[in-house]
Amino acid sequence: MAPVAGYVAVSGVLFAIGIWGLLTSRNGIKILICVEILLNAANINLAAFSSLWRSQAGYVFVLFSIALAAAEAAVGLSILIALFRKVHSIDLGKVRRLRW
Amino acid sequence: MIEYAWLIPCFPLAAFLLIAAFGRDWREGGGWVAVIGSSLSFVFSIPVTVEALQGKTLELDHTWFTIGSFQFNLGIYVDTLTALMLVVVSTISLLIIIYSIGYMHREGVRKPRYYAEISLFIGAMLALVLANNYLELYIFWELVGLCSYLLIGFWFERPAAAAAGMKAFIVTRIGDLFFLFGLILLYTNFGTFNFLKLFGTVVGPEQAGLLRIITFLIFMGAVGKSAQFPLHIWLPDAMEGPSTVSALIHAATMVKAGVYLVARSYPLFVHSPPTMLLVAGIGGVTALFTATMALVNNDIKRILAFSTISQLGYMMLGLGASGYLVALGSATAAPGYSASMFHLLNHAFFKALLFLGAGAVMHGLHDELDIRRMGGLQRKMPITAATMLIAALAISGIPPFSGFWSKDAVLDATFAAGGQNWFIMLLWLFGVITVFLTAFYMFRWWFLVFGGRPRYEGEAHESPPIMTGPLAALAGFAAISGIALFGLPKFLHYGALHLVGAQELLGEVFINPLTYLSLILALGGILLAWVVYQREWFKWEAISTPWGRFLHRLLLNRYYLNDAYIGLARNGVYGFSIIVDLFDRYIIDGLVNGIGWGSRGLGQELRRTVSGFVGDYVAWIVGGIVIILLIYIFGGF
Repeated sequence: MAPVAGYVAVSGVLFAIGIWGLLTSRNGIKILICVEILLNAANINLAAFSSLWRSQAGYVFVLFSIALAAAEAAVGLSILIALFRKVHSIDLGKVRRLRW
Repeated sequence: MIEYAWLIPCFPLAAFLLIAAFGRDWREGGGWVAVIGSSLSFVFSIPVTVEALQGKTLELDHTWFTIGSFQFNLGIYVDTLTALMLVVVSTISLLIIIYSIGYMHREGVRKPRYYAEISLFIGAMLALVLANNYLELYIFWELVGLCSYLLIGFWFERPAAAAAGMKAFIVTRIGDLFFLFGLILLYTNFGTFNFLKLFGTVVGPEQAGLLRIITFLIFMGAVGKSAQFPLHIWLPDAMEGPSTVSALIHAATMVKAGVYLVARSYPLFVHSPPTMLLVAGIGGVTALFTATMALVNNDIKRILAFSTISQLGYMMLGLGASGYLVALGSATAAPGYSASMFHLLNHAFFKALLFLGAGAVMHGLHDELDIRRMGGLQRKMPITAATMLIAALAISGIPPFSGFWSKDAVLDATFAAGGQNWFIMLLWLFGVITVFLTAFYMFRWWFLVFGGRPRYEGEAHESPPIMTGPLAALAGFAAISGIALFGLPKFLHYGALHLVGAQELLGEVFINPLTYLSLILALGGILLAWVVYQREWFKWEAISTPWGRFLHRLLLNRYYLNDAYIGLARNGVYGFSIIVDLFDRYIIDGLVNGIGWGSRGLGQELRRTVSGFVGDYVAWIVGGIVIILLIYIFGGF
């Protein structure tokens, strides 16, 4: 069994990539993907520590989290489709009707 | 019978409510209802007075409501002082209301308002003198002030009348404010407003300093109401109201409330010699000062107004001078007290008579006010002229008419106190000079109006019997009210203070040389007026000097005191108001608006951070986490 530090390192790298993607991209699809990456970084962490402490709680949370991610992706994609139909773009920088 | 004294003010107050509600539909605008109300008061006050003169006193006390530890009581207290005021108020108000039926006949739709307000006034005035505590007295004190304001401004479409009403209200309010402070001090220190409890508990020199302040404040209230110097300026202007109102409120009753207040509070005042000296000083100075202003005025009613202030000054002088001796402890009797109350009674009769007579003249001459455009009216208005002659003789102090007895008693009491204090002696001298001035200006008034040759235009006519009747009745009172009191063994007695009966008071009148001095002065004044205004042997203009013309102008402009007050109000009070206004507009409003503008500007800037773009929010969150982590790592937590 690989030491927990490896899992945490992978999780940290994934999390950083996700954050970097969120900060830099304006494309709706990219942002959705980045959110998925963030969730999976958290999942790896949960699974790693669950394995370390020999507790089942972490695994259960991972399952919840995967279900949540699936739902989120479905809702997010449908919003983006609706948006595309309306403004013919998925650039979130252009959606400013309700802003100042 | 005395147990029913509480009913006395109820009749006019009921009349007020009825007239206010239904007066429009009744004959004479409800005038006869007002007559019925005040005649019932009159009928009830006679037996009450008789019983009070027999030495009975009565106190009824009833708790109206309680707030915390403060109990508000309504009650009545009847003694001889109350009885005296009851007689004065109810008799005169009855006669004046009857007279009003004739005098206000031409008023039309405004009649209900007049009769309602005057009934309210009579009820409030009667309740004021019946009150058994200071707070109740103060309530009715303000109520009569309100009626005075309403009735001065009765012809409110005339700017002068509206302004005079406001002036009266504001000037008396200055005095009332002092009075209110006095009452608050009284309550916080003694815990009660009740007259008998206060007068019973207030003893001992340890409270002298406190009582000095309280009595001063109460006296300032009296100064405002009784139009004493320096708050006398409202009364001459109050003549803008109907003559009946001037007679009732501004001569016979309401202005006496100040004198009554001092008389009622005597047990407090006798603990404070300086206040007594102030009472005497204000009274004496006012008597002389306003008498000089009456010398040159040409308005038929304003002369009487100045004369009223002057006579009220006499009353204050008598109260203060005798009270000073009692306060010092060098006398136990206060002849000046009895004398002043005696003068109050007599003055009420002859001054009401004079005002009603002035009203009759105006009625007969189509509202002419300038006495230089009258003259010779005694042939056209014989009854009015005769009754006015009696009144003028009474006020000038010619025996056997009423004014002689009381004025002499006041001066006598002042002279007696003058032996103790040179200042009171000076005030006595003022009083004696005023005797001469009073006789002169009253007969100047009489000769210019009724004597000499006619100088008016148009036709003059005598008033109807409903007006001459009250004139004749009041003339009867003015003639005999002095002598009649000899029949009473004890005119006034008040608490522990030994007061002097009429016989005691007047017994030595004819053996006192000072009596003859004031009598000669009064006769001299009448003679001078006769020479100048009846015979017209010479005119003032013929012998005038620059100095005389200056004096004339000074008196005609009331020593420029009115202008000084206006100047003070305009530059002082108004200037201060402007500063306060600027402070409010720029500092207070600036503060409030500044907070608003600041928040708006801040919002304007802050909303740029809310871009609506997820990446920016994430950046904020990540930045925040990084800062927290840095603090966590390097802060040493």
